[in-house]
Amino acid sequence: MDKLVTLWEGSGLYNLELGQVVMVAVGLLLLYLAIYKKFEPLLLVPIGFGGILANIPEAGLALSALDQAIEVGRPAVLEQLASALGGSLDSQASVDSWRTSLQQMMANGATAEQIASAKAVANGSGYGDGLLYMFYTVAITSGIAPLIIFMGVGAMTDFGPLLANPRTLFLGAAAQFGIFATLFGAVLLSSMGWMDFSLNQAAAIGIIGGADGPTSIYVASMLAPELLGAIAVAAYAYMALVPLIQPPIMRLLTTQKEREITMTQLRPVSKLEKIVFPVLLLILVALFLPDASPLLGMFCFGNLMRECGVVERLSDTSQNALINIVTIVLGLAVGSKLMADSFLAIETLGIMTLGIVAFGIGTTAGVLMAKLMNVVSKMPINPLIGAAGVSAVPMASRVANKVGLESNPHNFLLMHAMGPNVAGVIGSAVAAGVMIKYLG
Amino acid sequence: MQDPELLQEGLGLMALGMGFVFVFLAILVFALTFMSSVIRRFQPAPAPAKPATKASSAAAATAQDDEKMAVISAAVHRFRTKKRR
Repeated sequence: MDKLVTLWEGSGLYNLELGQVVMVAVGLLLLYLAIYKKFEPLLLVPIGFGGILANIPEAGLALSALDQAIEVGRPAVLEQLASALGGSLDSQASVDSWRTSLQQMMANGATAEQIASAKAVANGSGYGDGLLYMFYTVAITSGIAPLIIFMGVGAMTDFGPLLANPRTLFLGAAAQFGIFATLFGAVLLSSMGWMDFSLNQAAAIGIIGGADGPTSIYVASMLAPELLGAIAVAAYAYMALVPLIQPPIMRLLTTQKEREITMTQLRPVSKLEKIVFPVLLLILVALFLPDASPLLGMFCFGNLMRECGVVERLSDTSQNALINIVTIVLGLAVGSKLMADSFLAIETLGIMTLGIVAFGIGTTAGVLMAKLMNVVSKMPINPLIGAAGVSAVPMASRVANKVGLESNPHNFLLMHAMGPNVAGVIGSAVAAGVMIKYLG
Repeated sequence: MQDPELLQEGLGLMALGMGFVFVFLAILVFALTFMSSVIRRFQPAPAPAKPATKASSAAAATAQDDEKMAVISAAVHRFRTKKRR
Protein backbone atom coordinates (compact mmCIF):
# COMPACT_ATOMS: atom_id res chain seq x y z
CA MET A 1 0.00 0.00 0.00
CA ASP A 2 2.83 2.36 0.89
CA LYS A 3 4.41 1.75 -2.49
CA LEU A 4 1.13 2.50 -4.21
CA VAL A 5 0.94 5.82 -2.37
CA THR A 6 4.51 6.67 -3.41
CA LEU A 7 3.68 5.90 -7.02
CA TRP A 8 0.59 8.10 -6.82
CA GLU A 9 2.51 10.90 -5.18
CA GLY A 10 5.12 10.70 -7.91
CA SER A 11 2.59 10.88 -10.74
CA GLY A 12 2.05 13.93 -12.88
CA LEU A 13 -1.62 14.08 -12.01
CA TYR A 14 -0.92 14.39 -8.28
CA ASN A 15 1.67 17.12 -8.69
CA LEU A 16 0.02 19.12 -11.44
CA GLU A 17 -0.37 22.78 -10.59
CA LEU A 18 -2.80 25.20 -12.20
CA GLY A 19 0.02 27.30 -13.66
CA GLN A 20 1.48 24.28 -15.39
CA VAL A 21 -1.89 23.39 -16.89
CA VAL A 22 -2.19 26.90 -18.29
CA MET A 23 1.35 26.80 -19.67
CA VAL A 24 0.75 23.45 -21.35
CA ALA A 25 -2.31 25.04 -22.93
CA VAL A 26 -0.13 27.94 -24.10
CA GLY A 27 2.30 25.43 -25.61
CA LEU A 28 -0.56 23.69 -27.41
CA LEU A 29 -1.80 27.06 -28.66
CA LEU A 30 1.66 27.79 -30.11
CA LEU A 31 1.68 24.38 -31.80
CA TYR A 32 -1.76 25.09 -33.23
CA LEU A 33 -0.64 28.47 -34.57
CA ALA A 34 2.47 26.93 -36.07
CA ILE A 35 0.86 23.85 -37.63
CA TYR A 36 -2.54 25.08 -38.78
CA LYS A 37 -1.92 28.79 -39.24
CA LYS A 38 1.68 28.39 -40.50
CA PHE A 39 3.01 31.03 -38.09
CA GLU A 40 6.82 30.76 -38.38
CA PRO A 41 6.52 26.98 -37.95
CA LEU A 42 10.28 26.46 -37.96
CA LEU A 43 10.55 28.27 -34.64
CA LEU A 44 7.14 27.96 -33.06
CA VAL A 45 6.96 24.16 -33.27
CA PRO A 46 10.14 23.67 -31.20
CA ILE A 47 9.22 26.56 -28.87
CA GLY A 48 5.71 25.27 -28.26
CA PHE A 49 6.87 21.72 -27.71
CA GLY A 50 9.69 22.92 -25.46
CA GLY A 51 7.12 24.88 -23.49
CA ILE A 52 5.08 21.72 -22.91
CA LEU A 53 8.19 19.75 -21.92
CA ALA A 54 9.26 22.45 -19.48
CA ASN A 55 5.95 22.24 -17.63
CA ILE A 56 5.80 18.52 -17.05
CA PRO A 57 5.41 18.26 -13.29
CA GLU A 58 8.23 16.58 -11.30
CA ALA A 59 10.39 16.05 -14.43
CA GLY A 60 12.20 19.37 -14.04
CA LEU A 61 13.46 19.36 -17.61
CA ALA A 62 14.00 23.10 -17.56
CA LEU A 63 15.64 23.25 -14.13
CA SER A 64 19.26 23.07 -13.04
CA ALA A 65 20.35 20.21 -10.79
CA LEU A 66 20.12 22.46 -7.74
CA ASP A 67 16.65 23.80 -8.51
CA GLN A 68 15.49 20.29 -9.21
CA ALA A 69 16.80 19.04 -5.88
CA ILE A 70 14.96 21.85 -4.13
CA GLU A 71 11.74 21.21 -6.07
CA VAL A 72 11.50 17.45 -5.74
CA GLY A 73 14.18 16.35 -3.27
CA ARG A 74 13.51 14.18 -0.22
CA PRO A 75 13.53 15.86 3.22
CA ALA A 76 17.00 14.48 4.00
CA VAL A 77 18.40 16.08 0.85
CA LEU A 78 16.70 19.35 1.69
CA GLU A 79 18.35 19.42 5.09
CA GLN A 80 21.75 18.83 3.53
CA LEU A 81 21.09 21.62 1.04
CA ALA A 82 20.10 23.99 3.83
CA SER A 83 23.30 23.33 5.72
CA ALA A 84 25.31 23.80 2.53
CA LEU A 85 23.63 27.14 2.00
CA GLY A 86 24.45 28.14 5.57
CA GLY A 87 20.86 28.20 6.83
CA SER A 88 18.61 25.95 8.85
CA LEU A 89 15.09 24.64 8.32
CA ASP A 90 12.26 24.94 10.81
CA SER A 91 11.65 21.36 11.93
CA GLN A 92 7.99 22.12 12.72
CA ALA A 93 7.15 23.36 9.22
CA SER A 94 5.99 21.24 6.29
CA VAL A 95 8.28 20.02 3.52
CA ASP A 96 6.70 22.44 1.06
CA SER A 97 7.60 25.42 3.20
CA TRP A 98 11.15 24.03 3.42
CA ARG A 99 11.31 24.21 -0.34
CA THR A 100 10.17 27.84 -0.45
CA SER A 101 12.56 28.84 2.31
CA LEU A 102 15.41 27.14 0.41
CA GLN A 103 14.46 29.09 -2.69
CA GLN A 104 14.52 32.27 -0.64
CA MET A 105 17.97 31.38 0.65
CA MET A 106 19.12 30.98 -2.95
CA ALA A 107 17.62 34.27 -4.02
CA ASN A 108 18.76 36.35 -1.03
CA GLY A 109 22.49 36.48 -0.98
CA ALA A 110 23.90 33.00 -0.88
CA THR A 111 27.58 33.37 -1.71
CA ALA A 112 29.11 31.74 -4.75
CA GLU A 113 30.87 29.13 -2.60
CA GLN A 114 27.69 28.24 -0.76
CA ILE A 115 25.85 27.76 -4.05
CA ALA A 116 28.71 25.67 -5.38
CA SER A 117 28.64 23.40 -2.35
CA ALA A 118 24.84 23.13 -2.57
CA LYS A 119 25.28 22.14 -6.20
CA ALA A 120 27.70 19.45 -5.13
CA VAL A 121 25.10 18.16 -2.67
CA ALA A 122 22.48 18.07 -5.42
CA ASN A 123 24.78 16.28 -7.82
CA GLY A 124 25.85 13.92 -5.08
CA SER A 125 22.27 12.89 -4.37
CA GLY A 126 21.69 12.03 -7.99
CA TYR A 127 20.15 15.15 -9.48
CA GLY A 128 21.40 16.32 -12.86
CA ASP A 129 20.69 19.36 -14.97
CA GLY A 130 17.48 19.03 -16.98
CA LEU A 131 17.65 18.51 -20.72
CA LEU A 132 16.14 21.85 -21.63
CA TYR A 133 18.27 23.59 -19.01
CA MET A 134 21.37 22.22 -20.68
CA PHE A 135 20.14 23.32 -24.10
CA TYR A 136 19.52 26.76 -22.66
CA THR A 137 22.98 26.99 -21.09
CA VAL A 138 24.78 25.82 -24.20
CA ALA A 139 22.74 27.66 -26.79
CA ILE A 140 21.51 30.87 -25.22
CA THR A 141 23.45 31.72 -22.06
CA SER A 142 26.61 31.44 -24.10
CA GLY A 143 25.01 33.51 -26.86
CA ILE A 144 26.10 31.01 -29.48
CA ALA A 145 22.79 29.94 -31.03
CA PRO A 146 21.50 33.37 -32.08
CA LEU A 147 24.94 34.20 -33.47
CA ILE A 148 25.15 31.04 -35.58
CA ILE A 149 21.66 31.70 -36.88
CA PHE A 150 22.76 35.21 -37.75
CA MET A 151 25.68 33.74 -39.70
CA GLY A 152 23.23 31.56 -41.62
CA VAL A 153 21.02 34.56 -42.31
CA GLY A 154 24.10 36.37 -43.63
CA ALA A 155 24.83 33.44 -45.91
CA MET A 156 21.27 33.58 -47.23
CA THR A 157 21.15 37.33 -47.81
CA ASP A 158 21.82 38.92 -51.17
CA PHE A 159 22.99 42.49 -50.73
CA GLY A 160 22.75 43.25 -54.45
CA PRO A 161 19.61 45.44 -54.23
CA LEU A 162 21.09 47.37 -51.31
CA LEU A 163 24.40 47.93 -53.13
CA ALA A 164 22.58 49.10 -56.22
CA ASN A 165 20.70 51.72 -54.22
CA PRO A 166 22.54 52.43 -50.95
CA ARG A 167 20.19 55.24 -49.95
CA THR A 168 17.57 52.67 -48.98
CA LEU A 169 19.72 52.19 -45.87
CA PHE A 170 18.01 55.30 -44.50
CA LEU A 171 14.68 53.50 -44.68
CA GLY A 172 16.13 50.66 -42.66
CA ALA A 173 17.40 53.18 -40.13
CA ALA A 174 14.07 54.99 -39.84
CA ALA A 175 12.16 51.78 -39.18
CA GLN A 176 14.33 51.18 -36.10
CA PHE A 177 12.38 54.00 -34.47
CA GLY A 178 9.94 51.24 -33.58
CA ILE A 179 12.57 49.77 -31.24
CA PHE A 180 13.31 52.96 -29.37
CA ALA A 181 9.74 54.22 -29.25
CA THR A 182 8.72 50.91 -27.67
CA LEU A 183 11.56 51.16 -25.19
CA PHE A 184 10.22 54.55 -24.20
CA GLY A 185 6.70 53.14 -24.07
CA ALA A 186 7.80 50.41 -21.66
CA VAL A 187 9.56 52.96 -19.47
CA LEU A 188 6.45 55.16 -19.56
CA LEU A 189 4.24 52.25 -18.50
CA SER A 190 6.42 51.51 -15.51
CA SER A 191 6.75 55.17 -14.50
CA MET A 192 2.96 55.40 -14.49
CA GLY A 193 2.97 52.40 -12.21
CA TRP A 194 1.04 50.04 -14.51
CA MET A 195 3.90 47.65 -15.08
CA ASP A 196 7.27 47.17 -13.52
CA PHE A 197 10.04 47.22 -16.09
CA SER A 198 13.64 48.21 -15.47
CA LEU A 199 15.53 50.07 -18.20
CA ASN A 200 17.26 46.83 -19.22
CA GLN A 201 13.96 45.04 -19.54
CA ALA A 202 12.49 47.96 -21.49
CA ALA A 203 15.39 47.78 -23.94
CA ALA A 204 14.96 44.03 -24.40
CA ILE A 205 11.24 44.52 -25.07
CA GLY A 206 11.92 47.34 -27.52
CA ILE A 207 14.14 45.15 -29.66
CA ILE A 208 11.04 43.13 -30.61
CA GLY A 209 10.39 46.09 -32.92
CA GLY A 210 13.52 45.09 -34.84
CA ALA A 211 11.44 42.18 -36.18
CA ASP A 212 14.50 40.02 -36.05
CA GLY A 213 14.29 36.81 -34.04
CA PRO A 214 17.98 36.07 -33.37
CA THR A 215 18.71 39.71 -32.49
CA SER A 216 15.79 39.79 -30.04
CA ILE A 217 16.92 36.58 -28.36
CA TYR A 218 20.53 37.74 -28.21
CA VAL A 219 19.68 41.08 -26.61
CA ALA A 220 17.12 39.56 -24.24
CA SER A 221 19.59 36.91 -23.08
CA MET A 222 22.09 39.66 -22.27
CA LEU A 223 19.86 42.31 -20.75
CA ALA A 224 16.78 40.55 -19.37
CA PRO A 225 16.97 36.73 -19.43
CA GLU A 226 13.90 36.51 -17.19
CA LEU A 227 11.73 37.91 -19.98
CA LEU A 228 13.29 35.88 -22.78
CA GLY A 229 10.40 33.46 -23.23
CA ALA A 230 7.77 36.14 -23.68
CA ILE A 231 10.02 38.29 -25.86
CA ALA A 232 10.96 35.44 -28.22
CA VAL A 233 7.36 34.30 -28.53
CA ALA A 234 6.20 37.86 -29.22
CA ALA A 235 8.96 38.46 -31.78
CA TYR A 236 8.28 35.30 -33.77
CA ALA A 237 4.50 35.46 -33.52
CA TYR A 238 4.39 39.05 -34.73
CA MET A 239 6.89 38.34 -37.50
CA ALA A 240 4.38 35.82 -38.78
CA LEU A 241 1.69 38.48 -38.47
CA VAL A 242 3.54 41.06 -40.58
CA PRO A 243 1.19 40.48 -43.56
CA LEU A 244 -1.73 41.40 -41.30
CA ILE A 245 -0.17 44.24 -39.27
CA GLN A 246 1.53 46.21 -42.04
CA PRO A 247 -0.89 46.67 -44.97
CA PRO A 248 -3.53 48.76 -43.13
CA ILE A 249 -0.83 51.13 -41.86
CA MET A 250 0.75 51.34 -45.31
CA ARG A 251 -2.58 52.12 -46.99
CA LEU A 252 -3.46 54.69 -44.36
CA LEU A 253 -0.24 56.64 -44.79
CA THR A 254 0.02 56.70 -48.59
CA THR A 255 -2.18 58.00 -51.38
CA GLN A 256 -3.16 55.91 -54.39
CA LYS A 257 -0.82 58.02 -56.52
CA GLU A 258 2.15 57.36 -54.26
CA ARG A 259 1.50 53.63 -54.24
CA GLU A 260 1.59 53.65 -58.06
CA ILE A 261 5.08 55.14 -58.28
CA THR A 262 7.30 52.93 -60.40
CA MET A 263 10.96 52.88 -59.50
CA THR A 264 13.87 52.94 -61.92
CA GLN A 265 15.42 49.57 -62.53
CA LEU A 266 18.36 48.64 -60.31
CA ARG A 267 21.79 48.69 -61.86
CA PRO A 268 23.69 45.41 -62.04
CA VAL A 269 26.13 44.95 -59.16
CA SER A 270 29.52 43.40 -59.81
CA LYS A 271 30.78 40.38 -57.91
CA LEU A 272 33.71 42.36 -56.53
CA GLU A 273 31.36 44.88 -54.93
CA LYS A 274 29.46 42.07 -53.25
CA ILE A 275 32.67 40.59 -51.92
CA VAL A 276 33.99 43.89 -50.61
CA PHE A 277 30.70 44.83 -48.91
CA PRO A 278 30.84 42.45 -45.89
CA VAL A 279 34.48 43.36 -45.28
CA LEU A 280 33.69 47.06 -45.46
CA LEU A 281 30.76 46.69 -43.09
CA LEU A 282 32.91 44.75 -40.66
CA ILE A 283 35.58 47.44 -40.71
CA LEU A 284 32.99 50.14 -40.00
CA VAL A 285 31.57 48.10 -37.12
CA ALA A 286 35.05 47.61 -35.72
CA LEU A 287 35.73 51.33 -35.94
CA PHE A 288 32.48 52.71 -34.59
CA LEU A 289 30.56 50.13 -32.59
CA PRO A 290 32.58 47.13 -31.37
CA ASP A 291 29.62 46.07 -29.23
CA ALA A 292 27.68 45.11 -32.33
CA SER A 293 30.59 43.03 -33.61
CA PRO A 294 29.39 39.61 -32.36
CA LEU A 295 26.14 39.97 -34.30
CA LEU A 296 27.36 41.84 -37.35
CA GLY A 297 30.68 39.99 -37.40
CA MET A 298 28.96 36.63 -37.80
CA PHE A 299 26.55 38.18 -40.28
CA CYS A 300 29.39 39.54 -42.42
CA PHE A 301 31.27 36.25 -42.20
CA GLY A 302 28.24 34.35 -43.46
CA ASN A 303 27.76 36.81 -46.29
CA LEU A 304 31.42 36.71 -47.29
CA MET A 305 31.26 32.90 -47.48
CA ARG A 306 28.28 33.26 -49.79
CA GLU A 307 29.73 35.86 -52.10
CA CYS A 308 33.39 34.89 -52.35
CA GLY A 309 32.45 31.78 -54.29
CA VAL A 310 35.35 29.59 -53.19
CA VAL A 311 33.80 28.00 -50.09
CA GLU A 312 30.53 26.72 -51.52
CA ARG A 313 30.46 23.86 -49.02
CA LEU A 314 30.79 26.07 -45.95
CA SER A 315 28.21 28.51 -47.25
CA ASP A 316 25.85 25.64 -48.03
CA THR A 317 26.26 24.15 -44.55
CA SER A 318 25.73 27.43 -42.74
CA GLN A 319 22.53 28.24 -44.61
CA ASN A 320 21.07 24.74 -44.44
CA ALA A 321 22.29 22.01 -42.11
CA LEU A 322 23.86 24.15 -39.42
CA ILE A 323 21.07 26.72 -39.17
CA ASN A 324 18.51 23.92 -38.94
CA ILE A 325 20.33 22.13 -36.13
CA VAL A 326 20.75 25.35 -34.19
CA THR A 327 17.11 26.28 -34.76
CA ILE A 328 15.97 23.05 -33.11
CA VAL A 329 18.17 23.60 -30.06
CA LEU A 330 17.31 27.30 -29.87
CA GLY A 331 13.58 26.66 -30.10
CA LEU A 332 13.62 24.07 -27.33
CA ALA A 333 15.80 26.31 -25.18
CA VAL A 334 13.41 29.23 -25.60
CA GLY A 335 10.57 26.87 -24.72
CA SER A 336 12.29 26.15 -21.42
CA LYS A 337 11.63 29.76 -20.46
CA LEU A 338 7.89 29.24 -20.81
CA MET A 339 7.52 28.25 -17.16
CA ALA A 340 4.42 29.18 -15.26
CA ASP A 341 6.04 31.26 -12.51
CA SER A 342 7.84 33.58 -14.91
CA PHE A 343 5.47 33.61 -17.89
CA LEU A 344 2.09 33.95 -16.20
CA ALA A 345 2.47 37.56 -15.15
CA ILE A 346 0.86 40.81 -16.14
CA GLU A 347 4.23 41.78 -17.64
CA THR A 348 3.81 39.18 -20.39
CA LEU A 349 0.60 40.88 -21.46
CA GLY A 350 2.49 44.18 -21.51
CA ILE A 351 5.24 42.66 -23.65
CA MET A 352 2.73 41.28 -26.14
CA THR A 353 0.98 44.66 -26.44
CA LEU A 354 4.22 46.65 -26.67
CA GLY A 355 5.52 44.22 -29.28
CA ILE A 356 2.68 44.84 -31.69
CA VAL A 357 2.95 48.60 -31.07
CA ALA A 358 6.65 48.33 -31.92
CA PHE A 359 5.89 46.74 -35.29
CA GLY A 360 3.31 49.40 -36.04
CA ILE A 361 5.59 52.30 -35.16
CA GLY A 362 8.49 50.80 -37.13
CA THR A 363 6.32 50.46 -40.22
CA THR A 364 5.00 54.00 -39.83
CA ALA A 365 8.48 55.48 -39.45
CA GLY A 366 9.74 53.60 -42.51
CA VAL A 367 6.89 54.75 -44.73
CA LEU A 368 7.16 58.36 -43.55
CA MET A 369 10.92 58.35 -44.17
CA ALA A 370 10.35 57.08 -47.71
CA LYS A 371 7.87 59.92 -48.30
CA LEU A 372 10.41 62.41 -47.00
CA MET A 373 13.12 61.01 -49.28
CA ASN A 374 10.71 61.29 -52.18
CA VAL A 375 10.38 65.01 -51.55
CA VAL A 376 14.11 65.58 -51.19
CA SER A 377 15.62 63.41 -53.93
CA LYS A 378 15.10 63.27 -57.66
CA MET A 379 14.94 59.52 -57.99
CA PRO A 380 11.38 58.35 -57.31
CA ILE A 381 10.90 56.11 -54.28
CA ASN A 382 7.69 54.25 -53.72
CA PRO A 383 6.79 54.85 -50.05
CA LEU A 384 5.58 51.27 -49.70
CA ILE A 385 9.15 49.96 -49.66
CA GLY A 386 9.77 52.00 -46.51
CA ALA A 387 7.62 49.53 -44.62
CA ALA A 388 10.12 46.80 -45.50
CA GLY A 389 12.66 48.61 -43.31
CA VAL A 390 11.52 46.57 -40.31
CA SER A 391 13.71 43.56 -41.29
CA ALA A 392 11.52 40.40 -41.12
CA VAL A 393 13.28 39.22 -44.28
CA PRO A 394 11.74 38.42 -46.73
CA MET A 395 8.19 38.65 -45.43
CA ALA A 396 8.12 42.46 -45.28
CA SER A 397 9.36 42.77 -48.87
CA ARG A 398 6.65 40.44 -50.07
CA VAL A 399 4.07 42.54 -48.26
CA ALA A 400 5.36 45.74 -49.91
CA ASN A 401 5.29 43.97 -53.28
CA LYS A 402 1.72 42.74 -52.75
CA VAL A 403 0.34 46.10 -51.66
CA GLY A 404 2.11 47.72 -54.63
CA LEU A 405 0.59 45.24 -57.07
CA GLU A 406 -2.89 45.99 -55.73
CA SER A 407 -2.52 49.59 -56.88
CA ASN A 408 -0.65 48.94 -60.09
CA PRO A 409 -0.59 45.36 -61.38
CA HIS A 410 2.56 46.02 -63.41
CA ASN A 411 4.63 47.47 -60.61
CA PHE A 412 6.90 44.86 -59.07
CA LEU A 413 8.51 46.25 -55.95
CA LEU A 414 10.02 43.04 -54.57
CA MET A 415 13.64 43.70 -55.52
CA HIS A 416 13.39 47.37 -54.55
CA ALA A 417 11.98 46.41 -51.16
CA MET A 418 14.80 43.93 -50.51
CA GLY A 419 17.18 46.90 -50.14
CA PRO A 420 15.49 48.47 -47.08
CA ASN A 421 14.66 44.97 -45.88
CA VAL A 422 18.26 43.87 -45.45
CA ALA A 423 19.14 47.39 -44.31
CA GLY A 424 16.66 46.78 -41.50
CA VAL A 425 18.65 43.71 -40.41
CA ILE A 426 21.81 45.81 -40.19
CA GLY A 427 19.90 48.62 -38.50
CA SER A 428 18.43 46.43 -35.78
CA ALA A 429 21.81 44.81 -35.14
CA VAL A 430 23.32 48.28 -34.75
CA ALA A 431 20.48 49.27 -32.41
CA ALA A 432 21.15 46.11 -30.41
CA GLY A 433 24.82 47.06 -30.20
CA VAL A 434 23.97 50.53 -28.90
CA MET A 435 21.69 49.10 -26.22
CA ILE A 436 24.24 46.53 -25.09
CA LYS A 437 26.89 49.24 -24.99
CA TYR A 438 24.66 51.59 -22.99
CA LEU A 439 23.19 49.07 -20.55
CA GLY A 440 25.40 45.97 -20.60
CA MET B 1 11.19 59.66 -6.77
CA GLN B 2 13.02 57.25 -9.00
CA ASP B 3 10.47 57.32 -11.77
CA PRO B 4 11.28 60.64 -13.46
CA GLU B 5 14.87 59.48 -13.53
CA LEU B 6 13.92 56.25 -15.32
CA LEU B 7 11.82 58.21 -17.78
CA GLN B 8 14.67 60.59 -18.45
CA GLU B 9 17.08 57.75 -18.98
CA GLY B 10 14.67 56.08 -21.39
CA LEU B 11 14.37 59.30 -23.35
CA GLY B 12 18.14 59.66 -23.39
CA LEU B 13 18.64 56.11 -24.65
CA MET B 14 16.00 56.68 -27.33
CA ALA B 15 17.70 59.84 -28.64
CA LEU B 16 21.18 58.34 -28.43
CA GLY B 17 20.22 55.04 -30.02
CA MET B 18 18.21 56.52 -32.86
CA GLY B 19 20.89 59.10 -33.51
CA PHE B 20 23.62 56.50 -33.59
CA VAL B 21 21.72 54.17 -35.89
CA PHE B 22 21.22 57.03 -38.32
CA VAL B 23 24.81 58.23 -38.16
CA PHE B 24 26.19 54.72 -38.61
CA LEU B 25 23.97 53.91 -41.56
CA ALA B 26 24.71 57.33 -43.11
CA ILE B 27 28.44 56.55 -42.88
CA LEU B 28 27.69 53.18 -44.45
CA VAL B 29 25.83 54.87 -47.31
CA PHE B 30 28.82 57.10 -48.03
CA ALA B 31 31.27 54.23 -47.73
CA LEU B 32 29.19 52.09 -50.10
CA THR B 33 28.81 54.84 -52.67
CA PHE B 34 32.54 55.52 -52.53
CA MET B 35 33.40 51.81 -52.73
CA SER B 36 31.12 51.27 -55.71
CA SER B 37 32.50 54.25 -57.58
CA VAL B 38 36.09 53.14 -56.99
CA ILE B 39 35.37 49.59 -58.07
CA ARG B 40 33.48 50.71 -61.13
CA ARG B 41 36.34 52.97 -62.14
CA PHE B 42 38.94 50.20 -61.98
CA GLN B 43 36.70 47.42 -63.19
CA PRO B 44 34.46 49.20 -65.65
CA ALA B 45 30.84 48.09 -66.01
CA PRO B 46 30.39 44.45 -65.13
CA ALA B 47 27.79 43.89 -67.84
CA PRO B 48 30.06 44.41 -70.87
CA ALA B 49 32.85 42.51 -69.13
CA LYS B 50 31.00 39.22 -69.50
CA PRO B 51 30.32 39.39 -73.26
CA ALA B 52 33.95 40.39 -73.72
CA THR B 53 35.22 37.23 -72.07
CA LYS B 54 32.64 35.23 -73.95
CA ALA B 55 33.69 36.82 -77.22
CA SER B 56 37.34 36.10 -76.58
CA SER B 57 36.60 32.49 -75.70
CA ALA B 58 34.41 32.24 -78.77
CA ALA B 59 37.24 33.65 -80.84
CA ALA B 60 39.61 31.16 -79.28
CA ALA B 61 37.14 28.43 -80.09
CA THR B 62 37.02 29.40 -83.75
CA ALA B 63 40.78 29.48 -83.91
CA GLN B 64 40.85 26.02 -82.41
CA ASP B 65 38.24 24.91 -84.90
CA ASP B 66 40.37 26.19 -87.78
CA GLU B 67 43.31 24.21 -86.54
CA LYS B 68 41.16 21.08 -86.16
CA MET B 69 39.79 21.64 -89.62
CA ALA B 70 43.27 21.80 -91.05
CA VAL B 71 44.37 18.66 -89.26
CA ILE B 72 41.27 16.75 -90.30
CA SER B 73 41.47 17.82 -93.92
CA ALA B 74 45.14 16.93 -93.96
CA ALA B 75 44.37 13.50 -92.60
CA VAL B 76 41.56 12.97 -95.09
CA HIS B 77 43.82 14.09 -97.87
CA ARG B 78 46.52 11.68 -96.78
CA PHE B 79 44.04 8.85 -96.42
CA ARG B 80 42.73 9.43 -99.91
CA THR B 81 46.16 9.72 -101.48
CA LYS B 82 47.19 6.50 -99.69
CA LYS B 83 44.10 4.68 -101.01
CA ARG B 84 44.75 5.78 -104.54
CA ARG B 85 48.08 4.10 -104.52
